[in-house]
Amino acid sequence: MSWKAIDRNQPVVEKDAAPVLSDAVRDKIRSFFPRYETKRAVLLPALHIVQNTLGYISWQAMTEIAEVLEIHPSDVMNTTSFYTHFWTHPKGEKVLTVCRSISCEAMGGAKMLDTIKKELGIDEHGTTKDGRYSLVTEECLAGCDHAPCLLINEKMHKCVKAEDIPALLVDVDNDKLSMERSDLFDPPSEEKGKQAASVGQDSAIGATSDVSEMREAE
Amino acid sequence: MAKIIIDNQEIECRDGVSALQAAVEAGWDVPHYCYHPGLSVVASCRLCLMEMKMPHPQTKEMGWAPKLMPSCQTPVREGMEIRFNTDKVKTNQENCMEFFLLNHPLDCPVCDQAGECHLQDYSYKFGKAESRMVDQKLKTPKKDIGPRTLLYSDRCVMCTRCVRFTDEISGSHELTLVNRGSRLEIDVFPGLPLDNPMQGNVVDICPVGCLLDKDFLFKRRVWELKRGESVCPGCARGCSISIDHVDEKVYRLKPRFNPEVNDWWMCDEGRFGYDYIHDKKRISSPLVRRGLEQTTPNWEDVPAVLRYRFEQFVSEQGGAKVVAVLSPFMANEEAWLLAKFIRDVAPEASLAMGPVPYEGEDQSFPAKASGDDVKFTILKEKAPNRKGIESLLESLGGSVLTYEQFIEKTGAGDITAAWVVGGYPKPWVEKDVAKIASKFELLVAQDIFENEFTAKADIVLPACAWAEREGSFTNADGLTQPFQWAIVPPDGARRDGQYLFEIAGETGLFSAARVREMMAKTVPNLSKVHESPARPVHAH
Repeated sequence: MSWKAIDRNQPVVEKDAAPVLSDAVRDKIRSFFPRYETKRAVLLPALHIVQNTLGYISWQAMTEIAEVLEIHPSDVMNTTSFYTHFWTHPKGEKVLTVCRSISCEAMGGAKMLDTIKKELGIDEHGTTKDGRYSLVTEECLAGCDHAPCLLINEKMHKCVKAEDIPALLVDVDNDKLSMERSDLFDPPSEEKGKQAASVGQDSAIGATSDVSEMREAE
Repeated sequence: MAKIIIDNQEIECRDGVSALQAAVEAGWDVPHYCYHPGLSVVASCRLCLMEMKMPHPQTKEMGWAPKLMPSCQTPVREGMEIRFNTDKVKTNQENCMEFFLLNHPLDCPVCDQAGECHLQDYSYKFGKAESRMVDQKLKTPKKDIGPRTLLYSDRCVMCTRCVRFTDEISGSHELTLVNRGSRLEIDVFPGLPLDNPMQGNVVDICPVGCLLDKDFLFKRRVWELKRGESVCPGCARGCSISIDHVDEKVYRLKPRFNPEVNDWWMCDEGRFGYDYIHDKKRISSPLVRRGLEQTTPNWEDVPAVLRYRFEQFVSEQGGAKVVAVLSPFMANEEAWLLAKFIRDVAPEASLAMGPVPYEGEDQSFPAKASGDDVKFTILKEKAPNRKGIESLLESLGGSVLTYEQFIEKTGAGDITAAWVVGGYPKPWVEKDVAKIASKFELLVAQDIFENEFTAKADIVLPACAWAEREGSFTNADGLTQPFQWAIVPPDGARRDGQYLFEIAGETGLFSAARVREMMAKTVPNLSKVHESPARPVHAH
């Protein structure tokens, strides 16, 4: 068995498959072009946009991003696989991220993780059968002073006790950010900003949190 | 020339090179994986770290910097002082080697690279014999990444040479890195395999046995192979190559460093285009036809038979009806010997050159590059020595025909005796040309495969493949490069150079260098050859 080689010649993207990226998504990616010297540089914003729209970045989405940015699909695969933030397979509606670092561990993080596993009946990197929850762990959620921490989608829950978990799981608001979310980046100019914002609104494409958020918070 | 001090020894080195390159060229064996002089520098393997003297930030006094510096990324500077022979440097090399071997499967007994593997060499020279790893090794999969290449990622040291090659030289970007940290792997996008006209080079530059050539896989242990220095006959570019062979069989071709022509690279067409050498259908012995009778003469008799036949023909019909058709696959020396013989028996005989095969268009890499950015070119002219033969015909003077004129004149009956040389790896006699083959009263066909000319010839001589011959080819840029024979011709055949040497009236053993001396008077521009410079032993 160990001498068996994985066949990489077989395509994973069907040739005549319908595109997964809508024109609105493509336009939104293109609206980032003026901000950078090269189209290649738009790769990270593009990945964010696609993940926010489709939930994950499929092989086909990678080839389509490559097509828009005029780069090789392997370059998209490279960046996608580098960041654990990007999913290459479908994820649940709510992603639970548990901190596995030392402060949270000391304050009962492991117990919290076990409770979640038991409640949802899934292991790390698993997704429930109904597609509602996915569970992952991360090294640090940057909330050591309020350990143990649990991130549900983009909302941080601090000082989580194991007995809080069932209530947190069913809470409809627990992935709503209290802070207003910005578009991906600061608009480069007023005109562009309007355009980007309008694309976002019209097509109801979700936006992601970003550096600008932190800047605003400051 | 900059002067730098390495390990207390002053050496002179080229300006603008890295300290690593300077050290390697001066004879130091500095271990390195990620550094390749033809690719960009990433300084990721950390094996080549050195100690360097730097000015103290406050006192400005020169002293050894506390941290090690990557020698591949540090350009040489006049008076620079570096050292590799210290405990600090050696400990780093040991630690790096231990790290590279953490997850290595140690499957050398079944690895194609064993024997020319830099994990083996460096582990022996710079590493330590044991590993402290107690955990289970991480196993990464073996992958079939293209029609000609396998990638066994468990042997990989993540030097990323192959990735940089596809990015910077071939410009095809197939290979990339996936994941990160301990799970980092080289991979292709599924369905977009490594399949470009230069992909074989990634196997050459892989310092370990991770990238494997399917053509050579499990065929031979590399220490059994003998190496012959040669020139690729695949196109008019004339890349310097080495022929790896054993037991009179060619196993693989590898590029040889030549800054004038091919740098470190060669194309797949040349690399895998040697199969015809071992084709069973090759002509392997001389043949004389007399009416319906066919005999195989002794090689000792061949010169006399040929001379007698031509002399008889010339005395009956005159020398103007004689032509020698030289092939662009012949070496300059062979062509000169044949021309010498023909002009000897018939001074008014004509010389011509056979058809030059063209395929497609010139391809340059990376695609879309121009000027100095072009790293490699594959020419559409698929013969190694058109320029040499043309230059020879020009220098020898006398009656020179084009191939078309030769066909026309033969058809009209103006030429009735010919010596036609082929040696093309692919069928080359076109249908309308084949008709003239029966118009000769005396036809000598010297070819590697049977065709319309050899079928009608009075005398058939076996031509040898370039790997069995020696001589020189003049490439498209006018550079005359020598090549050596690597293997002996098939049983019954003799080297073209040897029998042409005897036919031309010389005695003894043929040597290309000796013939070039003889050529110096008549063809001075072909008598000097360009030898590619030897690479430092420790460069890879």
